Amino acid sequence: MNELDRTIHEPARLRVLTILSGVDVADFNFLLSTLGLTKGNLSSHMDKLEKAGYVEIVKSFSGRMPHTEFRLTPQGQEALEAYWRDLDAIRAMQVPKE
Amino acid sequence: MGGMSSTQYPEAGDPRQIVRWARRYAKSRTISFMVQWLLMVCLLLGIWIAASLTHTAYLAHNYGLVTASAAAMSLFALVLVWFSVSRWGGEFIWRITMWLYGEEGYVEYTSNARGASAQWWLTVLGAGMVIYHLLGALLITFGSLAIEHMQPFSACYMVPFLVVLILVQRLGFWAWIWPVLYAMHAVLVAVGAPIVFPRHLELLNMALPVFGYGLVAILVGHAYSRFALWRLKRLTRSGLPPAGTAQQAGE
Repeated sequence: MNELDRTIHEPARLRVLTILSGVDVADFNFLLSTLGLTKGNLSSHMDKLEKAGYVEIVKSFSGRMPHTEFRLTPQGQEALEAYWRDLDAIRAMQVPKE
Repeated sequence: MGGMSSTQYPEAGDPRQIVRWARRYAKSRTISFMVQWLLMVCLLLGIWIAASLTHTAYLAHNYGLVTASAAAMSLFALVLVWFSVSRWGGEFIWRITMWLYGEEGYVEYTSNARGASAQWWLTVLGAGMVIYHLLGALLITFGSLAIEHMQPFSACYMVPFLVVLILVQRLGFWAWIWPVLYAMHAVLVAVGAPIVFPRHLELLNMALPVFGYGLVAILVGHAYSRFALWRLKRLTRSGLPPAGTAQQAGE
């Protein structure tokens, strides 16, 4: 049995990755408004996901306004799929939820 | 993107439902289409008003007004062409769209029409559509096509073209409303249903199906995007502490 990926297992990060796996690109404002997190909190999560190589961050300017977009990397997609597989395996063994 | 199919995980309450609703929301964001629709209608209305004015002024032998209205008509037509083909037109729509979506942010389920080859043949198909409709106008001019049959004639190209566009750009279900209504309208006209406008309103025989059904599809898409976003927020926020609480981003 594989151990669950600790980076993904955090609820907010899991939701971010799940959203990004359903779309091709999402910006900071979209994730912020959808998840209802604070800016600082979301930034911190995104930094961790980027450091893990799970998301790609594209920074640009829309006029004078900074615009930050996120994409799931192939590594992130793989890690997310592995996470769900591991979680399903744990569920199948009827291990109680933490 | 995404090898994880949401249909694999149909159980209600499963966080993987987020995939499904995020995608449905992204595919049904139609405000950019609404902006394009509004600009097109305004410009075409400008052309139509200027053309009508030119005609009236010509009949009244007011050649000063003929010149002015013809110039206005040409200007509207040039703006329409420039707006349709220039990069600036796309950026303008993008800025308005982003402003209208405001705090909602930006998300995209990218069309696979981004590749150069797909863009190329879509442009060819689009040009073909213009040529086809010009051919229709010529046939009407030479009396080979009754004006009330222009819409069914148009549907023979428009419907398959729209279907290809929807499939290539992976648009949501809302987009299908347009070709379906357009095809139904064409069939009804072809079988002689009394849905043809009289001579003084004959422009509506084309304008209403093209822009009316387009607007219906866009509004349905927008309404659905509201629902999809509401579902998405409910799913993503369940189990998360509200913003402002001292949640740490760490483990």
